[in-house]
Amino acid sequence: MRLGIAIDSRTCMACYCCLTACKDEHCGFDSALTKKQPMMGQQWIDIREWERSDSSRLVKVASVPTPCSHCEDPACMKAAKDGAVYKRPDGIVIIDPEKSKGQKAIVDACPINAVYWNEELEIPQKCTMCAELLDDPDYLSYLGDSKVKVPRCVEACPNGALVFGDLDDPDSDISKIIAANRETQLEPLAGQKTNVVHLNVPTVYLAGTVYYPKSMEEVCIGAKVKATCEDGTVCEMETNYFGDWIFEDLPKKKNFTVEITMDGYKPVKYEAFTDSDHYVDMTYLEEA
Amino acid sequence: MTEKITHSICVGGPIAIHTEDGVIRRIRPIVFDDNDPKGWVIKARGKEYTPFRKASPAFIAMTEKNRAYSYDRIRYPMIREDFVETPDGMDRKTENRGKSGYRRASWDEALGLVAREIERIQGTYGKESVTAITSSHHSWGLLGYKLSAFARFFRMLGYTQILDNPDSWEGFHWGAPHTYGYYWRLGGPEGFDLLEDALQNVETMVMWSHDPDTTRGGYAGNESTMWRHWLDDMGVQFIYIDPFNNFSAVKQADKWFGPRPGTETALCEGIAYVWLSEGLYDKEYIAKHAHRFDEWENYILGRGVDQTPKTPAWCESETGIPAADIKALARRWATTKTMGGSGLRGGFGGVARTANGTEFSRVMVQLFAMQGMGKPGQNMWVGTTGAPIDYNFWFGGYSDPLSQIANQPIADVTAVNSVTQKLYRPNLPDAILNGHYEWYGEGFCGGGLDLQFTRHIYPEPGCNPVHMFWRYGGTFMGTMLDTNKWVRMYRSPELQFVVNQDIHFHGEARFADVVLPACTNLERYDIGEFCNSGNSGYQSHSQTGCSWQVVVFQDKAIEPLWESRSDFWIFAQVAERLGWGDKFTENRDELGWCKRFWEKSDLCEKISWEDFTKKGYYVAGVPEERERHYGFRWFAEEYPCDTPNHKHFQEEGKLGTFTGKFEFVSESLLYYAPHDEARTPIATYKHSWEGHHSIKADKYPFHLISPHPRFDYHTQHNSSTPWLWEIPENRKYINGNPYLIARIHPEKAEAKGIKEGDLVRLFNERGSVLCVARVTYRCEKNTIHAYGSSGIYNPVKPGDTSMDIGGCVNILTPGRLIGSMVPGMAPNSTLIDIEKYEGEIPEGQMFEHKLDAVAKSADPEAETCMDIISGHGFESIQAKARELYLNKQKEATK
Repeated sequence: MRLGIAIDSRTCMACYCCLTACKDEHCGFDSALTKKQPMMGQQWIDIREWERSDSSRLVKVASVPTPCSHCEDPACMKAAKDGAVYKRPDGIVIIDPEKSKGQKAIVDACPINAVYWNEELEIPQKCTMCAELLDDPDYLSYLGDSKVKVPRCVEACPNGALVFGDLDDPDSDISKIIAANRETQLEPLAGQKTNVVHLNVPTVYLAGTVYYPKSMEEVCIGAKVKATCEDGTVCEMETNYFGDWIFEDLPKKKNFTVEITMDGYKPVKYEAFTDSDHYVDMTYLEEA
Repeated sequence: MTEKITHSICVGGPIAIHTEDGVIRRIRPIVFDDNDPKGWVIKARGKEYTPFRKASPAFIAMTEKNRAYSYDRIRYPMIREDFVETPDGMDRKTENRGKSGYRRASWDEALGLVAREIERIQGTYGKESVTAITSSHHSWGLLGYKLSAFARFFRMLGYTQILDNPDSWEGFHWGAPHTYGYYWRLGGPEGFDLLEDALQNVETMVMWSHDPDTTRGGYAGNESTMWRHWLDDMGVQFIYIDPFNNFSAVKQADKWFGPRPGTETALCEGIAYVWLSEGLYDKEYIAKHAHRFDEWENYILGRGVDQTPKTPAWCESETGIPAADIKALARRWATTKTMGGSGLRGGFGGVARTANGTEFSRVMVQLFAMQGMGKPGQNMWVGTTGAPIDYNFWFGGYSDPLSQIANQPIADVTAVNSVTQKLYRPNLPDAILNGHYEWYGEGFCGGGLDLQFTRHIYPEPGCNPVHMFWRYGGTFMGTMLDTNKWVRMYRSPELQFVVNQDIHFHGEARFADVVLPACTNLERYDIGEFCNSGNSGYQSHSQTGCSWQVVVFQDKAIEPLWESRSDFWIFAQVAERLGWGDKFTENRDELGWCKRFWEKSDLCEKISWEDFTKKGYYVAGVPEERERHYGFRWFAEEYPCDTPNHKHFQEEGKLGTFTGKFEFVSESLLYYAPHDEARTPIATYKHSWEGHHSIKADKYPFHLISPHPRFDYHTQHNSSTPWLWEIPENRKYINGNPYLIARIHPEKAEAKGIKEGDLVRLFNERGSVLCVARVTYRCEKNTIHAYGSSGIYNPVKPGDTSMDIGGCVNILTPGRLIGSMVPGMAPNSTLIDIEKYEGEIPEGQMFEHKLDAVAKSADPEAETCMDIISGHGFESIQAKARELYLNKQKEATK
């Protein structure tokens, strides 16, 4: 058994239910596995967001709720002395609040800054995947249904953007969700196996709008747009009912050539670099 | 250890409350069990859709524990330290209100004083000299809610009622009924069963002035977000129109348009121009159902009085949106099955709260009429209402006269107010300060179009002005306009006595002479249904904004903290001292009143009182062979109206207008108000009285828009829940003060020398507010966006009209109403300027320390604010409560 959480950035709308549920559980209360979280300053599930835009013509926001990834081979465990960080048989990574006292190196070792330093208690702290609740036979037993025993953040998510379950079981909901979506490991953890699996985190888009010559006051529907990556891959589409085109999830830091063609009009060519999201242009065609 | 689980509802939705040893341990959503009914299933486009088996409250619901143990709870009855109970009500140092500290009082002293003052003032000046008002939705439940215990007390007492304005959807209330009726829905459309219709038929959603993930169907929590994901997944195109690329749009929009604030009606007219000139509308439908369409058509095409065709190019010059885009928008809307509307439930939205709000609302309805409103997939519906429901299950909602303890059948005797004099909320300060105010309309005019034109004058002939003000729940510092006007009102000696009854020590409570500590929903009994605003009241069946119909026994989870008491108890105690306690309570305790709601509704046929109170909630299942009453379909398909809460004339195929048709020239306005400058018989785009065409724009060039908040509910959470200050889109904590985020376009920010994270001063002639800048392309270029309803009001000089550092941007909004005959407020018609703040960061005025002083003066042992925020106080409050509880248990078992 390997317990994990799949987190879908496409359905997450940054409603903050997961964070408030997490704070509600952990702030001010010790548990069997961890000391109380301070009231302020720590986000065991941190909703990391960035604006994807360089123009008011197109703005998207990426939301990535980020708890501890519960790595297969945790960097924090290696940095810890006296076995202060350990991995349970179910895969959940726990920081021992007694043994970890004074070990700030555990905080510094985390590649995604998901471990927090408690100044007052002088201990590193982080997401426990609510293992203390999962372990507790009394918790939620009143419902007579152990199926609902999930981490607080997962229970509070209204959209099913967080899915909890056994990653080793191919028939579990979490395994199915992961199989059906694009797995997008957080960049600092590239190549590593983790029990928290991020899905559909966007990379970079190139987009624009094609218009007929300005005096016509018309968008150009059905113009052909072709984006060629420096590595030779090509993506193509036609402009939609707003004259818009967009190529999503492009590889980062590549040079692209974008060519726009429409019968009867001069072709237009742009060079673009996918360092970040770009709205390339409002393209006004010229008659050929 | 004693552990128990009880349930409640708050404005964020239903919750399960775990308590251990008399203190609240955790707040969870309610997850349904196997005994609860199955969810509904909608079959659409080859798939089946059913909701998750849990109620989905908003994140604010999960902060209820914090709100209960908050540092800013009012712990004891308090009396202003320099208040003297002069026998004639004079010389009471009213100019110190908001400035002075408080001393702790016993309940006996405070209640005695309140009762004596009521008797003195009413005895001297008549019953009408006492006035009182609640804010909207500071708690939930049919017993404690504003239209229940509050209304029962004050109607029995006799008082000058303050009429509420429809502050969330003004334009739709005062405008739309003149185009399509629905005054009994306060101007909003019918959403019945349109979720199924949309899933099966819709191709395009026009989300105008609408941020559904933020406004959450009113009080439906996150119940409808999945519906919109389903629509999105099936390829339905979402077009968002809003000067701020809002939180739903950045996630979901296939296209965003940001018109310049105040020009939305021009955009509507530009769309209509395209449809008219290209023949892209339902001519047959219009021929049959529209009244005086041709006159409006003439106006749009430039053959009307202004001789200006509303061409896309003209529209571009007003809105800033390229003419080509406007044409493409109009064509997409007309050539695909399109649903949409404005704001929250389709007849709301920030635009409705502008100087042009009535006209926007009317033209919005006209546009949907032009596309055959009511046909499958073509309707006013914005993805937040219309879930399947069991229409045969009835449990009351708050606006329902049948579900209020003020009335029969819940009460044995209905409470009736003996005073006819009225006041009007947005202008209460004007009335007090000037001793005179006159206005049109009844505030909420659900009873008929004529009610919008009734004439009021204050003081009413033969009546005295008011001298006592009792404020109950929440704060208007933050939600009402021109905040400083309220400060001036409170300092007026005209108000001889001010009572504030609230849970938290919010901005407005600090202006009272006597402060009465009420407890939260978690500390008293109540009963209520998730998101039900009243099945036979206004905007009926708002609970169809939820996937599940849930009635909750709002059990008392813990004893009232400190010396706080339930609102019902407070009113009953004052009534007792006035000599009519038994009449008020009818000898029922709070649990007894709760049971009346069970007994007088269909709930008693579904579940026994014992089972209901034990389980804590009841889910009304939707029968598999359910009834369907698609909103507005009856009109388009011309069958007798079958939707709930309809009027008899609808059965004959008529709308609630004079002609029974869509009135493109309003006969009701021609009859009642032919010279109304804001609402002309033909709805037209008018330059805002505070907009970019105003002279004032030379000095204050930015539009401030202050929509309903994403990270709060009205004013209730931001001050009490420091967790929310860590949300980067909400606030930034600098030097002990949580500053509100204000958003500005990068180009303008650069011109002003403003960088991300800078302190900025937003200002105009009404005042100034210090915020933190977020530089973002999400803003239309001329727009500053900062959320309204600030939970924190914190002027640098308390009790003065000085700069605010709490984020109360309503200090900047105009007190002016939409029109001389349209008594709606228009906070989104505000001009301001912005500058980088380089003054001293106000220290010593820190939010926490100010509250500390209050807590300390009332209770020397009170935890300091800073302690609680950094973690200790919260726990020590809980530890004290636990100790108290355990001692009591011990004594009980002796």
